[in-house]
Amino acid sequence: MEPTDAELVAAFRGGDPEALGLLMERHKGALYGYLLRLTGRRDAAEDLFQEVFLKLVRDPGAYREREKFAAWLFTVARNAALDRFRREGARAEVPLEGDDGRPGPADFAASPEPGPEAAAVNGELGARIDAALGALSADQREVFYLRHYSGLSFKEIAELLGLPIGTVLARMSRAAAALRARLEKDAQ
Amino acid sequence: MNCGYGEKLILYFYGEADAALAAEVSAHLAGCPACRGELEALRAVSGRLAPEAPRPEVLASVMRTARALAGKRGRGPVFGWRELLLSGALASVLAGLFAVSGRPSRELAWNAGLDSRLDSVEYSVYQAQADFTASAGDWDYSYSELEDESLNVKDNV
Repeated sequence: MEPTDAELVAAFRGGDPEALGLLMERHKGALYGYLLRLTGRRDAAEDLFQEVFLKLVRDPGAYREREKFAAWLFTVARNAALDRFRREGARAEVPLEGDDGRPGPADFAASPEPGPEAAAVNGELGARIDAALGALSADQREVFYLRHYSGLSFKEIAELLGLPIGTVLARMSRAAAALRARLEKDAQ
Repeated sequence: MNCGYGEKLILYFYGEADAALAAEVSAHLAGCPACRGELEALRAVSGRLAPEAPRPEVLASVMRTARALAGKRGRGPVFGWRELLLSGALASVLAGLFAVSGRPSRELAWNAGLDSRLDSVEYSVYQAQADFTASAGDWDYSYSELEDESLNVKDNV
């Protein structure tokens, strides 16, 4: 039976660095995929990926077993991405959508560089899907990516975002409706 | 979509609908092209959002740091009886120095090149001295405020 995330973290805290390697292997696809979609850039996504796990390396007590490891992981990832956007935007509040003609994180998140697996489903449909995702509002896209990549329930995502679950579901529902409308329109 | 099944469809698609709700949505889908269209869109987009892997050197870099820190933590502090005696002796000397010096010396506490295990003792002594000095300053300030008030009262009488 495979060790749970909490068991791996405990083993890492107990002095076994290889347990961290197993944790990274287990979560790398989802976490990196999320960060890549969020930033639209491989270098930024890799930096943030490292930053997230290095946080655990430098402070193993940062993760508390009472929460799901994935919830902690994606909370840290989201906050790290927002911090980076703020730094790169050089202003205190950087809206996810760009303003004054400058691109915001939402613009970067629209069409990331395709990775090897994404390239396999690339082509016209892939481009249309990317465009449809790019046309979502930042709030809708954020919830959409979190749900898809983290595997967390909507209740857990609501807690992560500090929102009522109704709001999260409403954003997802509007996102789904917008995606359908955009894909159907582009197909005509 | 005006059928009011938007959020229920989301729960259904992501496997969070209980049996009753799943059955209700299934039945609804049979008669709602808009909901079927949304389901298709969700499937297509989910297929596009594939997991991606960072370059192996990204993970390798994290692991190097993790192994290096694990090595350091594993060695840990060696605190035998000799270290205890030395710590006590040094702490006493430092306490004496702070007691007779006019001002607490931050440099002495932090730049003396003493073993880092003694820093907490030194800092406690330094902090106590600093607190005493600050309190003394507060008394001076409060006294001068009283003097000012006294002068004001005299002027206004």
